[in-house]
Amino acid sequence: MFKKMLSGFIMLALILVLAVGCGSEETSNESTDSAAKSETYPNKPINLIIAYSAGGNTDIAARILVPYVEEELGVPINVINKPGGGGWTGWTELLNAEKDGYTIGYINTPNLMTGYLNPEFNRDNSLNDFEPIANHVMDYGIIAVKADDERFNNIDELIEYAKENEVTATTTGYAGDDHISQLRINQTAGTNFVAVHQAGSNEMLASVLGGHVDVLFDNVGGAKTAYENGEIKILAVLAPERSEFIPDVPTLEESGYPDIYSFSARGIAFPAGVDAEKVSIVKEAFVKALENEEQVKKIEDLGYKVYPVNGEEYRTFLEEDEASIIGIKDVLGW
Amino acid sequence: MNIEILSSVFAQLFTLEVIVALLIGVVGGMVVGALPGLSATMAVALLLPLTFSMGTIAGLVMLTGLYTSAMYGGSISAILLHTPGTPSSAATALDGYEMTKQGRGLEAIGISTISSMIGGVFSALVLLFLAPPLSLVSLKFSEPEYFLIAIFGLTIISSLASDSVVKGLLSGVFGLLIGLIGTDILTGFPRFTFGISELESGISLVPAMIGLFSISQVLSQMEAIRDAKRNQINKVDGKVLPSWTSLKKIGPTITLSSVIGLFVGMLPGAGGDIGSWVGYNEAKKLSKNPEKFGKGCIEGVAAPEAANNAVTGGALIPLLVLGIPGSAVTAVLLGGLMIQGLVPGRDLFTVHATTTYSVIVGLIFANLLMGIIGLLAAKHIVKVTNISFSILIPVIIVFSLVGSYAINNSMFDVYVMVFFGVVGYLMKKTGFHPAPVVLAIILGPLAEGGLRRAMVMAKGDFLLYLFQRPISVVLIIMILLSILSPIILNYRKKKKEEEVAL
Repeated sequence: MFKKMLSGFIMLALILVLAVGCGSEETSNESTDSAAKSETYPNKPINLIIAYSAGGNTDIAARILVPYVEEELGVPINVINKPGGGGWTGWTELLNAEKDGYTIGYINTPNLMTGYLNPEFNRDNSLNDFEPIANHVMDYGIIAVKADDERFNNIDELIEYAKENEVTATTTGYAGDDHISQLRINQTAGTNFVAVHQAGSNEMLASVLGGHVDVLFDNVGGAKTAYENGEIKILAVLAPERSEFIPDVPTLEESGYPDIYSFSARGIAFPAGVDAEKVSIVKEAFVKALENEEQVKKIEDLGYKVYPVNGEEYRTFLEEDEASIIGIKDVLGW
Repeated sequence: MNIEILSSVFAQLFTLEVIVALLIGVVGGMVVGALPGLSATMAVALLLPLTFSMGTIAGLVMLTGLYTSAMYGGSISAILLHTPGTPSSAATALDGYEMTKQGRGLEAIGISTISSMIGGVFSALVLLFLAPPLSLVSLKFSEPEYFLIAIFGLTIISSLASDSVVKGLLSGVFGLLIGLIGTDILTGFPRFTFGISELESGISLVPAMIGLFSISQVLSQMEAIRDAKRNQINKVDGKVLPSWTSLKKIGPTITLSSVIGLFVGMLPGAGGDIGSWVGYNEAKKLSKNPEKFGKGCIEGVAAPEAANNAVTGGALIPLLVLGIPGSAVTAVLLGGLMIQGLVPGRDLFTVHATTTYSVIVGLIFANLLMGIIGLLAAKHIVKVTNISFSILIPVIIVFSLVGSYAINNSMFDVYVMVFFGVVGYLMKKTGFHPAPVVLAIILGPLAEGGLRRAMVMAKGDFLLYLFQRPISVVLIIMILLSILSPIILNYRKKKKEEEVAL
């Protein structure tokens, strides 16, 4: 009886597989027919590669945005998570994909740049390999300490202390945004921040709340909740202007250390070489979705800022970010 | 929590929407858990957008139910097919599959179900009553303690080996070496990657585990079929409900494992995969007959299963109180909470008390429901072992291939799985056991990261730093005891024998 059920099940599964196989063949025939008339682009699902795992910060923000883009484009978007290699497993996949306009991906700064600028990895990629569509989210860096840490009540006290003493500080990883800002502060202010590289925002917060690491270098999005609960004191925001989420926190610039900005930005890109017309169709869809107020509200509820630059403006933004990393190459020892 | 909240909690829970959501979560979790490569993290992430359109409580109850029941689901395939559905049930495969081979598969599923249910309910109860104070305890653990917990877990290797201690240690070292592959956390240097970009993030645990456990098993079975040996598995017999004597026997094991699982779950750096091994380890060490472990002993099934389900409630403690998730799945849940407007912190237990307590009580129900469904379905599920190997083997291979691909959508992981399948098979042929390799792949990176970060945190003398931390000192004593006690026991046993001989 059970055997019968099982063989029945296998038969059903095979039939399904065949049906799906035939189905996709049909659609692919259709797409070659219609590829000639590009005005019908897009006419089949678009794959969106996310270089981080399901449920991560990038993934959640992307899954919130995707339905609004689908509405604009009229085709489904498949989210595909390809985590690994600090993001470069997914980005390599994106660059190797066919340039038919049906594969796009999220690119994250500064990991995108550090991944090819770091000579250890021997990658001969550059920004020119990507066709930036639009940026989605921008998350500025912050410096914070435990709420009951009596030693530091403002950023000056922390910096003065760190000039004389070794101070441990959290990062999300080697050459990530937190690490880079520590190195830059050490370089300009002569402080002794020592990086404790951890796996992610959660471990970082836990080690500061437990009093194991002195200073929390994190992003507004990751630290907002703990700040609102009164568990940490945020001493400075590493942004050109104050954050709308924590307006009472001064910028590092206000305290006399200009030009040290730190952020992680996440946006969408094609691999270079996709037809310009297709790029502009997709770009338009993203721009509309990014302006959608419902989407903006959902993202901001998570503590992230929607920062919708697109096209050439987005490319310039990425180039400036790349230049600032190249500027501290010697500090990173590259 | 007062009576008023309690009554509104029940009113919130007993609605059609919540009950349906709970059922979907529990049954879905069992399926996802049982299939290798489909993880609870993935399922929660995929269902998350769906919950936005549901009621807050229904959505969250579905996700937490899915989480706990996926932990249990992994044990079903581990016991019946030697194919752990999740890394958390790798330890269960050791004794569970032995029981299946002896025709006691049904009993093993029964033990696993009862243990999972008790572990899960226990941790949910602790979550309900003790979450705020315990969340502060979880903060006391940091990198030095993670390093020591990992070392403590590794001490079990010497006893996991089937033939000889030396072979066990060799397998462990092999696993530790595998764990070294990937980008160095402190310097960003790619280690042992041979220029292969897929290796930069290291060898993925799930494909390696599937290879070492299930493919190696399948290869051995194929060999047995070729040699026309008799089917190794006896006919399924026995009852699903454990007898009173076995319940009494596993009672202490379940209790201890539940506490272990709860604490491991509370730590942000450790989850069910580590909790289940530590639970197994302790059950074996404290057992009067440690030699029975690995040969189909019920405590060997009860210990990891109670521990990995107890992890779920534990992992929710720092999440709800501090916004620090205790495991990968709860990290995804954090996003779910925030989107529902539930910001972790004291407010959850005051302003949003009804919602929070409804979700926690819902978790208790989810565990009970999981137990009931598990016991009812067990009889039908074990029939899998009656299927002839010539049908079963291709099915296992297909699931292993698809699962290895699905976990990261990566073809490279499939090659990793096949490679470790062959390695595992060769190890078995030469008297090595693959379990220490899996254990070392799980614990190696935790030990390395913990040690190296702790050395930075120490700002100077590392040993002095360790001895200033009370929890570290306790862990060091536990490690020493666990290494020295077999030697001392052996010595005393020998002395006694000598005395008797005299």
